[in-house]
Amino acid sequence: MGIMAKPLKEKKSPGYVEIDEDQCTGCVLCMKACPTKAIRVKDGRVARIEGVCIDCGECVRTCTKGAIKAASPKRDGFTASSDLVISPSTVLYSQFGEDYLPNDILLGLKKMGFGYVHDQSYTSEMCNFAVELFIKENRKKPDSPFPLISPACPVVVRLISYRFPSLLKHIPPLATPREIVDREAKKRLSAKYGCSPKEIGVLHITPCPALADFAKESVSQERYPRKDKAVGINSIYETLKKNIQEIDDDRVLHHSSGIGIGWGMSGGEIAGMKRNCLAVSGLHETIRYLEKIEMGLLQEVDYIECRICAEGCLGGPFTVADKYQARHLLQKLVLMFGVERRIKYKYVIKLYKDGWFFTERDRTAFKDVASPLSISDRIERLNRVEETLRSLPGKECGVCGSPDCRAFAEDVVDGKTTLKDCIFFHNQKGKIASRAGR
Amino acid sequence: MAHLTRSFEIKARDFSRAGEVSIEVQGILKTIGFEADCVRRASICAYESEMNVVMHGGDGELSLTVDPENILLEVEDHGPGIENIELALQEGYSTATIQYREMGFGAGMGLPNIKKNADFFEIHSQKGQGVHLKVGFKVDGDNG
Repeated sequence: MGIMAKPLKEKKSPGYVEIDEDQCTGCVLCMKACPTKAIRVKDGRVARIEGVCIDCGECVRTCTKGAIKAASPKRDGFTASSDLVISPSTVLYSQFGEDYLPNDILLGLKKMGFGYVHDQSYTSEMCNFAVELFIKENRKKPDSPFPLISPACPVVVRLISYRFPSLLKHIPPLATPREIVDREAKKRLSAKYGCSPKEIGVLHITPCPALADFAKESVSQERYPRKDKAVGINSIYETLKKNIQEIDDDRVLHHSSGIGIGWGMSGGEIAGMKRNCLAVSGLHETIRYLEKIEMGLLQEVDYIECRICAEGCLGGPFTVADKYQARHLLQKLVLMFGVERRIKYKYVIKLYKDGWFFTERDRTAFKDVASPLSISDRIERLNRVEETLRSLPGKECGVCGSPDCRAFAEDVVDGKTTLKDCIFFHNQKGKIASRAGR
Repeated sequence: MAHLTRSFEIKARDFSRAGEVSIEVQGILKTIGFEADCVRRASICAYESEMNVVMHGGDGELSLTVDPENILLEVEDHGPGIENIELALQEGYSTATIQYREMGFGAGMGLPNIKKNADFFEIHSQKGQGVHLKVGFKVDGDNG
């Protein structure tokens, strides 16, 4: 299907993806992998991002030359200080092997000199139950959109607002655990110090480059003011490991059951929910499911956890441990800590009724500002694209520098390139038999 | 007025490719940039009618015609036809085999679902002469 590469409204690509021009050989792999067809390799030189980048990281995973990297925010952006709140992703619990339990890891962070270390796993457990409450409440309403789609993966949310805008209403207005930790920590500490919540900085320790770029997290409002930062798990790993080995503390910072601990793996968000749920992970699988949902299928499912990374957040580009080993470790921890939530149900129900779990979400689709064409111009354009496509060989080789024949035809029609760039067209002086399409 | 016409073949009983025509239709409508809700409704109708042809219809054809104000889907097949259209339009009425039901299809919601989502709905059929379905959607023209 033809997707035009569109620049984001006000949000300039690229995000965390960095292309090293010295390493790039100008092959076609990343260009072909990009789900928004945003990459071009013109003149056989180097890959360039020209369209909408949703930070899925697929090009990073695909590049065999090591030329495309996920840029981690620089560590010098923060120093361990006593008034900074640390919000580590629960994925961190899967990174240090069997010898260290979640509490040890939280104590290790304390030892690094951070004043407030806020465990996300307990909040995750509360959110897990809040989703159940939300489903129960909305199944009773006749026009509620189902299945609901989890708001947790920022790339999924961007993918929806870019390619599946009609599904934006399937994303419930519920805050993710990380957003709630943010909000609560700020509220509590600002009360303690008598300052505005905006003065309290939160440092996220995350497996996810897409989360590291707060400016692009279009899903949350009020979150992440300027004080907040994020850092990849990999960039603090060694220091943290040393500190964990040296802990001399026996405070208890971790309070959740296995449900909260396993939240970051694929299926972790829906684990323990007594509803009809599904967990889907990986870019292509996610797209396949979003297409199905858009065609009205799966309405009997209550909640779908979609994650762009295979195996969920354990497959995030900033993780250190192998995702399958990490998964195995988490499964062991889940069994060790049990699958009964440790939350106080009555209290969570009260919080839910008070609106504690809710957040405003930006429901606007990405608008195409670069091509302000009218519908009727777009129809004409598509006709010309189809006509051009019929004159192409349909080899889908990518040598022209566009990801496939359709994208090339679009680029030709949009005046970004000429038919001469198609090597087949060129070699046979345009006498290629029409074999495009089906 | 600018318009675009595309037609697609639908193969009967080819479950490995079932749904692909609708995905293509969906892609075209999105590329043109019709309003999201309209694309959704048209995709649902395309999918349901495609599945009807795959399951019951014998081979058939889906054609899509769009202009800035209308989306029209026409689906024709060469299958056994529908004996009682009124009955087929009732929710839950189905002639699907047990085998299809085991695959998760044939809940008797197809035609009613199409009718519910379309702004214009017309169906002609006679026993032994296939089904001719016309479904239309009004769009908001150039506001999007």
